Amino acid sequence: MHGLMPEQVLLWDGAVLDRFMPMHLLVGQDGVVERAGPTLSRVFPGRALMGSEFGDLFELRASGGAASLADIMARGGRRLRLYPRDRVPGAVRTGMRGLAMALPESGQVLINLSFGIDVVAAVRAYRLTVADFAPTDLAMELLYLAEANHAVTAELRGLNLRLDGARLAAEEEAITDPLTGLKNRRAADAYLARLCATGVPFGVLHMDLDYFKTVNDSLGHAAGDLVLGEVARVLRRQTRAEDCAARIGGDEFVLILAGQTEADHLVAVAERIIAGVSEPILFEGQVARVSASVGIGRSIDHAYPDPALLLADADAALYRAKRAGRGRAALAFDKGSAGVRRPVNNVLP
Amino acid sequence: MQGLMLRSMQAYLRGTFGAEVWAAVVREATLPVDGFEPMLRYGDGMADRVAQAAAQVLNRPADVLWEDLGTHLVTNPRHEGVRRLLRFGGVGFTDFLYSLEELPDRARLALPDLQVPDLVLQEVGPDRFCLTCKFPIAGATRILGGVVMAMADDYGALVVIDYVASETIRIDVPEIRHTTGRRFDLAMPGA
Repeated sequence: MHGLMPEQVLLWDGAVLDRFMPMHLLVGQDGVVERAGPTLSRVFPGRALMGSEFGDLFELRASGGAASLADIMARGGRRLRLYPRDRVPGAVRTGMRGLAMALPESGQVLINLSFGIDVVAAVRAYRLTVADFAPTDLAMELLYLAEANHAVTAELRGLNLRLDGARLAAEEEAITDPLTGLKNRRAADAYLARLCATGVPFGVLHMDLDYFKTVNDSLGHAAGDLVLGEVARVLRRQTRAEDCAARIGGDEFVLILAGQTEADHLVAVAERIIAGVSEPILFEGQVARVSASVGIGRSIDHAYPDPALLLADADAALYRAKRAGRGRAALAFDKGSAGVRRPVNNVLP
Repeated sequence: MQGLMLRSMQAYLRGTFGAEVWAAVVREATLPVDGFEPMLRYGDGMADRVAQAAAQVLNRPADVLWEDLGTHLVTNPRHEGVRRLLRFGGVGFTDFLYSLEELPDRARLALPDLQVPDLVLQEVGPDRFCLTCKFPIAGATRILGGVVMAMADDYGALVVIDYVASETIRIDVPEIRHTTGRRFDLAMPGA
C-alpha cells in the first residue's frame, strides 16, 4: 500500500524550516546562499549570509582533502564535514557536520548542519542558548552529560585525594616510632635501601645511649621515656628534612645523612649529638644524665654499598667507641688512634 | 544516592552551623565514621538516622533540615553544578517541572549504578501540579521540595508548595514570570 501512494511534495515556509532546522542552508546552483537558519547567523556575527558564496563561508572536508560543494554533490557524497571560515578570536575551532540533498527540479541544495561533538565548544564560542537548537536536537543532553561527567569526575578526584591522605597518614604511622616521633627501623631500612639503589653517597651514624639503664632503674620508666624524647629532639636538630633519624631499638638510634661522607663533618655531627644528649635532664626535681656512643659508617668505603654492609660498619665502629670509654664517636676504617675520637664530655657520672 | 545525600547533609550542617555541631551530630547518631563519601554506598536508614540526630542537636524538625538542604544545594555557589544540571531541564519553570520525570534517566547516564528517586509529575489543575517521589529515604521528598522552591526562584516563578502526603508535593504556580530570575549560560563557567 505504502509504496503505491503518489509522492507528495511538501511546501514548507521559512518559519517552519527555521524551527525544525535552525542550522539549515539553501544553496543555489550557482553556489550562492539563498536562505540560512537563524543559528547559523550566530556563527557568522555581523555577516549577511544570504547572497554570500557558500565556499567563502565554509571550508569543506571530504576524503582526499578540501573539496567544493559541487564536487561532493557530483561524487554523490551527501555527508559533509565542514569548518566555518570565520573564527571567533580566542575560541577553539569548532567543526560541523551535515547532510546535503539536491532538491528536485530547482537544482538547489538543502544542507542541514549540526555541531556534533563540538557543541560543547560551540555554545561557548557563539554564546548559544536553548532557543538556538531544535527541541529534537540532542545538544542539551550532550551538554548535560558533559557537565554531569565533569561533576562526577571532580567528586572522584576529591574521593581519591581524601583516600590518598588517609593512606599517607597510615603509612606515616607505620614508619613512625610513636614514643619519639622519629622514624622506626622499617623506615630506616627502606631509606638506606633507597640510597644504595639510587647510588647517592651517605653517612650512617649508629648511636647507643650510655647509662640509660641506670636512669630507667633509678628514676623509673617515665624518666626513661622523657630521656628518649629529649634525645629525639637533639637528633632532629642535627638533621635536615632529607635525612633520616630513626629509633631502631630501646635506646638505639640511627641517623642517615644523605650526601654527607666527609669524615670530619660526620664526626663533628656525632660529637654535637653526644654533647646534646649529655646535657642533664630534669625529671620531677631529679637530674637524669645519659651520654651516647656513636659509630660512623660511610657509603664511600665500599664499591658496592648495601644496607647490611653499612650497618655492620657503623655497628663495628660503635663497638670500638664503647670499648674506648663512653661518650665517644668512632669512624669505621679510621687509621688514626684506632678510629676512636676524643671523649666529648667529662661530666659523666 | 545515599552517599550523595549524606555527604550533602554533612557539608550543609558543617558549613551552616559549624564543625562542632557536625561533631555533635556524629556523636548523637553514634556514627562509625566522622564523615561520608559521596561516591560510596551506605546502608538504608543511615540518612534518616543522621537527620534525626541533627534534628535533636539543632532542635528543629528533620523535615525542615532536609528542605533547607534542598534549597541550599540549588542556591549555594559551591554547588553551582547542581543548579546548572537542573537548569538544563528546560527554558521555563513548567518545562523544568516536566523534566523532573527524566531526571532519574539523566542521572543514570552519568552514574549508571546511582539509585535515584522515582519521580512522577501530574498536572492536576490550572497552574497546579502534583509531584510524587518514591524513595527509601524519608527525607527525599523534602529535599525535592526545597529544590523545587529554589529552582522556581531561579526561573523567576512564584510558587507555593504543600506536602500533601509523605511522598507527594503539590505545587501551585500563581505567577510563572514573577521576576526575571537568574541568568543561565549554556557554556560551563570556567571549564
